[in-house]
Amino acid sequence: MNKIELKNLLFLARLQVKEEDQDKTIEKLQNTFEMIDQMNDLDLDKFEPLNNPLELTNVSRSDEEKNRNKKEEFLKKSPKSDEDYFVVPKIVE
Amino acid sequence: MNFQETRNNFRKKQVSAKELTEESLKKAKEKSELNAFISHFEDYALARASNIDANFDEFKDKSLGGIPIAHKDIFCTDGKKTTCASKMLENFIPPYESTVTKNCNDAGSIMIGKTNMDEFAMGSSNETSFFGPVKNPWGQSLVPGGSSGGSAACVAADITTISTGTDTGGSIRQPAALCGITGLKPTYGLVSRWGMIAFCSSMDQAGPLARDAFACSALLNAMASYDEKDSTCSKRESIDYEKGLNKDFGKLKIGILKGIENLGISEEVLNAYESSKKILEQLGHSFVELDFTELSSGICSYYVIAPAECSSNLSRFDGVKYGHRSEAKNISELYLKTRAEGFGDEVQKRILIGSYVLSAGFYDAYYRKAQKIRRMIKSKFDEFFKDVDLVFLPTTLDQAFEMNRKSTDPNRMYKEDLLTIPANLAGLPAMSLPNGFSKNLPIGAQFVGNYFSEELLLNTAHKMQEVTDWHKMTP
Repeated sequence: MNKIELKNLLFLARLQVKEEDQDKTIEKLQNTFEMIDQMNDLDLDKFEPLNNPLELTNVSRSDEEKNRNKKEEFLKKSPKSDEDYFVVPKIVE
Repeated sequence: MNFQETRNNFRKKQVSAKELTEESLKKAKEKSELNAFISHFEDYALARASNIDANFDEFKDKSLGGIPIAHKDIFCTDGKKTTCASKMLENFIPPYESTVTKNCNDAGSIMIGKTNMDEFAMGSSNETSFFGPVKNPWGQSLVPGGSSGGSAACVAADITTISTGTDTGGSIRQPAALCGITGLKPTYGLVSRWGMIAFCSSMDQAGPLARDAFACSALLNAMASYDEKDSTCSKRESIDYEKGLNKDFGKLKIGILKGIENLGISEEVLNAYESSKKILEQLGHSFVELDFTELSSGICSYYVIAPAECSSNLSRFDGVKYGHRSEAKNISELYLKTRAEGFGDEVQKRILIGSYVLSAGFYDAYYRKAQKIRRMIKSKFDEFFKDVDLVFLPTTLDQAFEMNRKSTDPNRMYKEDLLTIPANLAGLPAMSLPNGFSKNLPIGAQFVGNYFSEELLLNTAHKMQEVTDWHKMTP
C-alpha cells in the first residue's frame, strides 16, 4: 500500500490521518494484511460463503400502532433544537 | 459472598437489597483504582434498592431479585450515559433501554454502574478504552482481557456477583479466563441485540459473567428472551437454565483437539488443561480426538468480517445524527474531523481494514474468501457434533499479560482470540471457566457446545465446579 492508496482509503472511510503519521498507518495495515493473507493458502472452492451462522427466517409482526415517538424527550436530548426540529450543521451543499 | 448465598439471604430477609447495594457501591469506591467503571449510578441504585425492599414480595422469587449488577457500557440505558468507551459517545444519553438491561431490571437486579471496556468492543486487553485501561484485580500491572474487561474485573474484585458482557470474538470468555471467573457466550440469537451498540452484527452476542456457572444460569435466565425488535433473535421456548443444573445428562463424549500443543499455548495453560481433562474423566466423561487443523484460519476470516461489518456499522457516527461533533466549514470536513477526533486508533484501523476489504476489486479476494472460511469452520463443528456432545479446549494462549505488552509479532494481540473466535464464526455457544492457577494468576478453559446447548454447557460447568475450587479463588 502506498500513500495514494491510503489517501483513497481514508476518503472511503471518511477518516483523516496526519501526513506525518501516514507511514505508520500503512505499516500497521500491512502487518494485519500479512496475517489475513494466510487465507490464500487454503483451498476454499467447495465452500459457499456464509453470511450468518443461523438459518434465518423472515420476521414479520402484526401491523399495530405503537407510539415509540417521544418527541419532547428526543428533542431535549439533542445538542440543539428549534421548536419541532433538530438543529444540525448544514448537510446539503 | 457468592451469588447463590447472596440471593438466599435476600430471599430469607437476612439482608436487604439496600444493604447489598450499599456494599457493592462501597467496594466499587474502594477499588476505584481498577478503573472498572465508566459510570456509577449511586442515587439511582439506592432508590431502586429501597423500592425493591418496599415491595419485597414482588421481587423475592425473581431470578436476580435484590442483586446488584454491573452492565457493560455497550448496552443503552434509558436516560443514563452510554459511551461504548469512546470519545464519540462520551456524552451520549440514550432515550431508550436495551432489551438485555430491561430484562435484567425486570428480573429484579439493581444496576450500580456501567463498566469499562475496549472502545466499541474492539480489543482484547481493555487498553483501547477512551477512559483508560482497566487493571486486572490479580495484578495491577496486568490487563484484565477484553473487551468486557471492566465487567470481568468487577466480578473478580467482588464488587458485584454478576455482570453483563458481549462476545464478538472472545470478549466474554477471554477476560473471564484472565480474571479467574466464569463467562458464557450464548448461541447467536439467544439474547436480543436490541439497544446493544453494534460492532459486528453477525457475531455480536451478549452473555453473563459471574464467579460460577450457577450465577451464570440465573443471569442467562433473565437475559435470554425472544424479542421482535431484533430480527435475528431466536423464537424458541425459554428454558430454565437454573433448573437445568440439576439434570443428569449422563456420561458425555467430549471432543479434544489433536495437536493442541502446536498452537502456541503456554505450558501453564496446557498443564491446567490436562489436569481438567482428568477431572472430566473422573466425572465419567470420555474423550474423542478431533482433527481441527482449520482452527487457525478462523483468525484470518474474523479480521476480515468483523472490520467489514464494523466499518459499515460505525458509518452512523458522522457528527450529524449523534455523538461527537467537530467544528467544520463544510459537510465533508465535518465527517472527517468528527470521525478522526471521535474514534481511537484501534477503531480507526479496523474501519480502514473494513473499508478496504469491502471496496470494489477486493471484495472477492477478502470478504468472500473470509465468508467461505466461515462456512468451513461451521461445517467442521457440524461434523464434530455428530460424534461429540461438547468440545473442550483452553480459552486463551496464555495468562493475563502486562499492559503495553511489547511483542515482536505485530499481530500478537489479534492472536489472543485464536481459540475463542471459531465459536463466534459458527455462532455456537461457548463457556469459559477457571481451571487452574500458575504464578498466582488464573487460567481458563472453555467448552463449545452445539447450537442452543446452553443448558448442557452450564450443567457440565456446574458439575465440574462442584468438585473443584478454582472459581472460589479471589485476588
